[in-house]
Amino acid sequence: MSLNLGKAQLLRCPLGTSLQDEGRVLGANYGIPRSGAMDLHAYHWANHLLQNSNDAVALEMVQPGLKIKFEEPCLVSLAGAVAVVSVNQSPISNPSIIAMGSDDILEIGKFHNGARLYLCIEGGFQVEKYLGSGSDFVSITTPSKRSTGDTLYYLSNQTKTVLQAKPKWTTDWFEPEVIRTYPGPDWELLSPTQQSQLLNQAFHISNLSNRMGIQLDELVVNELEDLPTNPVFPGTVQLTPSGKMIILMRDAGVTGGYPRILHLSEDGQSQLAQKKVGDPIRFQLMETITAG
Amino acid sequence: MKPTYQLISPTLGELVWNADPTDELLSIQFAYLTYIQTNFSTTLLEVRQGFTRLSLVWNNSSSQQEFIQLSGTLNLITEPLPEKIWQVPVCYSFEFGQDLESFARSKSLSPEEVIQLHIQPRYRIHFFGFLPGFFYLNGLSPKLHFPRKSIPSLAVPPGSVAIGGKQTGIYPQQSPGGWHIIGRSPIPFFDRKQDPPVWAKPGEQIQFIPINPTQLENWSDEDTKTFLQ
Repeated sequence: MSLNLGKAQLLRCPLGTSLQDEGRVLGANYGIPRSGAMDLHAYHWANHLLQNSNDAVALEMVQPGLKIKFEEPCLVSLAGAVAVVSVNQSPISNPSIIAMGSDDILEIGKFHNGARLYLCIEGGFQVEKYLGSGSDFVSITTPSKRSTGDTLYYLSNQTKTVLQAKPKWTTDWFEPEVIRTYPGPDWELLSPTQQSQLLNQAFHISNLSNRMGIQLDELVVNELEDLPTNPVFPGTVQLTPSGKMIILMRDAGVTGGYPRILHLSEDGQSQLAQKKVGDPIRFQLMETITAG
Repeated sequence: MKPTYQLISPTLGELVWNADPTDELLSIQFAYLTYIQTNFSTTLLEVRQGFTRLSLVWNNSSSQQEFIQLSGTLNLITEPLPEKIWQVPVCYSFEFGQDLESFARSKSLSPEEVIQLHIQPRYRIHFFGFLPGFFYLNGLSPKLHFPRKSIPSLAVPPGSVAIGGKQTGIYPQQSPGGWHIIGRSPIPFFDRKQDPPVWAKPGEQIQFIPINPTQLENWSDEDTKTFLQ
């Protein structure tokens, strides 16, 4: 089977749209962030619907407005936020999997629920990979984000096997306020008062949130000193000197010097990625099984 | 200096040294790195280094448990750190080091004294973090320790040489940053087209070599090659 590339034109591309996969683990030694889909759960689901490999490159959107024209027929899938979806201006009632014809135009409207939407395509979008990943990141990929007028490439001669039963995407899993987390490496440095505040209070998603980190509005009184710089990961919750909490996400730097007070479970990270500015969350601590 | 192992999640944990970062600790970390990469390459997904931790990401929880069983009994032999010293050109000036004057005043030093204290040591590279190609260096004179800015600058230019807390470093790309900028280096610190994308390795040392503003402005790729040998 020869690989013919189809073209998808981004007729309109809202800010914050990027190509993402599972991210690159090999770059941390050079200070390169992990990157990858913020909501891995939804991203994996959408790839699964198309029988793609787990790490096929998808488009991640954080706001409505995408208008994309596929020049060659293809199958696409959507998961994550629940949004108004139309093809050639006709609304699609269940947009889990959509068969696009030549020059069909897909449009994403208002997000009803959730904060991040994934558009997957059969075989994944075709980009040059660096350290095993096609995830966009400044100084690593060109371009480092997607804009109106850009062209994306995909495999246009894939076998079309439209699933008869269309699975329905549900959002029940990300709606609860409670996010499961492990104690962070520096949890024990916190006072009992701080620990109890963290576990008993609701916190709200700040508007200072992006792919590097999600900040929370409420402060936690903090008198801890900065620590030697040590590794951080997506899911690490840092407590800054001002008492602000930053939950590090996929594009965060690989090390940090603020106390690392919590570490979100992987499901918790995906759940958090679907929270909107102003949404409440509560931390629920899981026991980490003790060593040996 | 035996580390303890701290479990963070079923697949993430850290080797912990409760000590100040030193050359001795770094060589012990390297011994563990080599041992782990040699013996656990099939079950370890990633290892990340910090000043006093090695963080290990495992493919599943039983792989982590297997390592925990073993790690307590390890007695590893350390090797000497590399001898390589890189020379890094820096133009220390008010024009390219926008905070040099205010930094010197706050420390009750003259700008010349700040420069002398900054170029004197050889700095040990411990690891890369914060941004692609950003060195974490050990060896800043305590006379230059100074808290970070309370409000970070929005756009620190690439090549900026800066001091924050007990550390000094160089911004490889434009970025927001809370460190005090005292100079500018004209050489690249990260290039994804090179393999590896950085020219130095953890354990090696760097030394800052002062250059004047005319040299900075006329800097060429040939000059970079001359320096990075």
